[in-house]
Amino acid sequence: MRAFVFAARSLVRQPGRTALGIIGIAAVGALLFDMLLLSRGLVVSFRDLLDSVGFDVRVTATDSPLPAGVRMKDATLAAAAVAELPEVAQVIPMRTASGEIVLPGGRTVAAGFTGMDPSTRRPWTIVSGQDLSPLTTPPAIVINEPLSDAIGLPIGSELTLRAGCDPGRAVSTPRTFRLVGVAQFPFDDEAQNTAVVSRDALREACGDDRDEADMLMVASSGGSAAAVAAIKAKRPDLFPITNEQIVARMQTEGFTYFRQISAVLSTITLIFGFLLITVLLTVSVNQRLAEIAALRALGFSRMRAAADVFVQGALLVGIGGVLAVPLGMALSIWLDRILKAMPGIPAAMHFFVFEPRTLVTHAALLLATTLLASAYPMWLVARLPIASTLRNEVVG
Amino acid sequence: MVARRPVGVALLSATLAALSVVARSETAPPSGAGVLVSRQLMAAQQLRVGDLVSLSAEPDGSQPRSFRIVGEYEPTPDPMRLGAVRHEVRLHLPDLIDLRASGSNPLDTETVDAINVAVGSPSDAGAIARRLFTAIPGAVAQRAGNDERRAAPFVVLERFHLAIAIVTVLASSVFLLALMLMLVEERRSTVGVLRLIGFRRSRILQHVLAEGVVIALAGAAFGILLSVVMQGGINQFFQWRYDTALVFVRITPGVALRSIAVAVPLGVAAIFASSWSLLRGEVLALTRR
Amino acid sequence: MSAPIVDARALGKVFPMGGGPVHALRDITVQVPAGEYLAIRGPSGCGKSTLLHILGCVDTPTSGALLFDGREVGALPDVARSNLRLRSIGFVFQRFFLLPMLTAAENVEVPQAEAGVPKAERRRRTSELLDYVGLSHRADHRPSQLSGGEAQRVAIARALANKPRLLLADEPTGELDRSNGEHIAELLDRVQADGTTVVVVTHDPSLAERAARRLIMRDGQIEREERGR
Repeated sequence: MRAFVFAARSLVRQPGRTALGIIGIAAVGALLFDMLLLSRGLVVSFRDLLDSVGFDVRVTATDSPLPAGVRMKDATLAAAAVAELPEVAQVIPMRTASGEIVLPGGRTVAAGFTGMDPSTRRPWTIVSGQDLSPLTTPPAIVINEPLSDAIGLPIGSELTLRAGCDPGRAVSTPRTFRLVGVAQFPFDDEAQNTAVVSRDALREACGDDRDEADMLMVASSGGSAAAVAAIKAKRPDLFPITNEQIVARMQTEGFTYFRQISAVLSTITLIFGFLLITVLLTVSVNQRLAEIAALRALGFSRMRAAADVFVQGALLVGIGGVLAVPLGMALSIWLDRILKAMPGIPAAMHFFVFEPRTLVTHAALLLATTLLASAYPMWLVARLPIASTLRNEVVG
Repeated sequence: MVARRPVGVALLSATLAALSVVARSETAPPSGAGVLVSRQLMAAQQLRVGDLVSLSAEPDGSQPRSFRIVGEYEPTPDPMRLGAVRHEVRLHLPDLIDLRASGSNPLDTETVDAINVAVGSPSDAGAIARRLFTAIPGAVAQRAGNDERRAAPFVVLERFHLAIAIVTVLASSVFLLALMLMLVEERRSTVGVLRLIGFRRSRILQHVLAEGVVIALAGAAFGILLSVVMQGGINQFFQWRYDTALVFVRITPGVALRSIAVAVPLGVAAIFASSWSLLRGEVLALTRR
Repeated sequence: MSAPIVDARALGKVFPMGGGPVHALRDITVQVPAGEYLAIRGPSGCGKSTLLHILGCVDTPTSGALLFDGREVGALPDVARSNLRLRSIGFVFQRFFLLPMLTAAENVEVPQAEAGVPKAERRRRTSELLDYVGLSHRADHRPSQLSGGEAQRVAIARALANKPRLLLADEPTGELDRSNGEHIAELLDRVQADGTTVVVVTHDPSLAERAARRLIMRDGQIEREERGR
């Protein structure tokens, strides 16, 4: 009779204990699954977000992590120089500022502003109305949905913007814009108010004529690595960085807490699972010593008897592990919702992202845990002294 | 001149700015022009107290000013900047203003990001902040440490940790129930014999509950002891990993009491639930092999 | 006399205990010819079960040698000894030790499956054995649904599953009443009559009387030998 049948029958014989063991393993396995999702979730999500915008290289004036750092001077010249490179398909300078929309009656709504000239690529998606156009008078402004809800003005309205473009400077005089469209900005968090105007319009709103940019957004034509090398060669004073490098930097700095917590909790759940399986199997073996000794006396080898124990453990973990996946997916939705409430996290980003390789890692870890956890009860069985066990059973 | 290596540096002073640091300037600074440099920057740039350094507000390092390093300091640990490299320099405010002033804006010499005010009695801080807020147009006055925006990430993390704790407690409870079922099963014949002798169910239940309380208390105590031991290890590891003085895990009496308050009733409930069917069973059925 | 299936030479077994070593067997020499019915009797603690375990390769002697079918088995690795027990030796225990989660038929199939017997052949042989012990009608019942005598008969069927040359029974009627004990004794007679060598350890004089030869043990040694039924 195959070890699988033996193991299945042994488990069915104690339905309550077996069910609890499977549920326990499923719960532990679900938590482990979620921690595996979390370990790479932010990185995968952030990378997808960066790639979706259409630009694969960012260029800054210093190597400070974005978006902090010093503004690039003579940005138009820098952009033109970069655009000349055959490795570059498109370059768009981008400048940001903070400020507020001044509404009738004196009410103000704070917002973040971006000055950027759109072209074939733009890091926003129009959901209603139109995109920025240089022909609009007064200058066009596109806002995001939270800001649109906050100001409550229809498309086509005129609105007043007061920008604070430099921490060291006083706020400039208000400027009038025409609301032409509402868009989704991929890097906005749920509560963020964002607006985009043309570079010239922002410069005018800032009340200065400085040709500055926070960064140049670059789309390469032959691969980001080649574009970075070419930019460095042409303009060694600039700091180009690929999306992959941004993600790697975020992984070691911005996302580091979640990677660490994922590692810690994964380890704890594995230890927990190990303890659970070891105890279940060991107690089961101890309760069946006479039975095992009888089987050994009948001719079962040590290896066969030990294999029965391992298969029992594998069955428990296998069933529990399969249940753990849908349970973990459901749990991850809940945990993701909790973490996405963190300020500054783009609404389009997720902490828990499913990748097929997670299933493989999950299965491998559970298998390793089963092997380790079964080791002691298997050793007990293999070392069982047949004669004295049988004798003790009769005497007992 | 040592080859320039522009390094972005964030200043922790009245103004946040990005400066370029060129190591080991050869130009003597004006007297009194000293700076404090963060431990991390000192190590990264192999600086020593007494070294002369040049600081520039320009990304290309132009228009540098010379300063002498008068001391090294440990940046205040900031959990919001965990993982960030703390390359920082502290200057006297006039020096920083002078360094950043462009000359084209007369307000440059009059501009700071914030003014910190120490009050005589901390309990008056809120009232003073409100008075300043109304008295100075255009200024925002608020009590330090009362920034809900800064606290928001920690509120979220607390909820996240609580969610993990709930799942862990649920899984532990299932584990506990399974264990108790096995323990109780081993006692089947013993309980049967006791009942045969004449022990009442309630008497046996008292034994069971007493045992449950002892096991649960002992387990909880062991768990807390283990946590206290692990606390040291976890803090040491993460402090080394992130080069910070932040404390990551702290077992307080409140935390310990809450753990006991959850663990002990769960343990007792588990042993009670698992013993229930045994105590309800027929005596002869318990003693039959 | 046929060649001995079991040849024990100067067997000794010492159990190290806290209070000093216990000599369970001292210099036991016995041969069991093929086809014989041998009973081993003696007071509790005389070493009869220990001797049976050594003869059945379940335990190893501290001294002396054991030959099975002319082959020294003392130095065999565990895999070889297990194989020997599986294919050549059948064991019947006082407490039956049937697997509670399997039916009577499945219990009888277990050793056959382990020996690699194909399914159809296993089913056929199991049916034959259950019929042999008079329990065809209880094939699908679990051990908890069987009486003591029925359980022991299933245990005998299981012990015969791989057509062993030697059947060892340790107090096979120890847990049974007189009537059931009689049935088991008759069954063991049949097994021996059909060509299997039978060695029984027993307190039961009526069971021992059925054997052609009886060894009486005391203090780890063979005190005397009796013959005749």
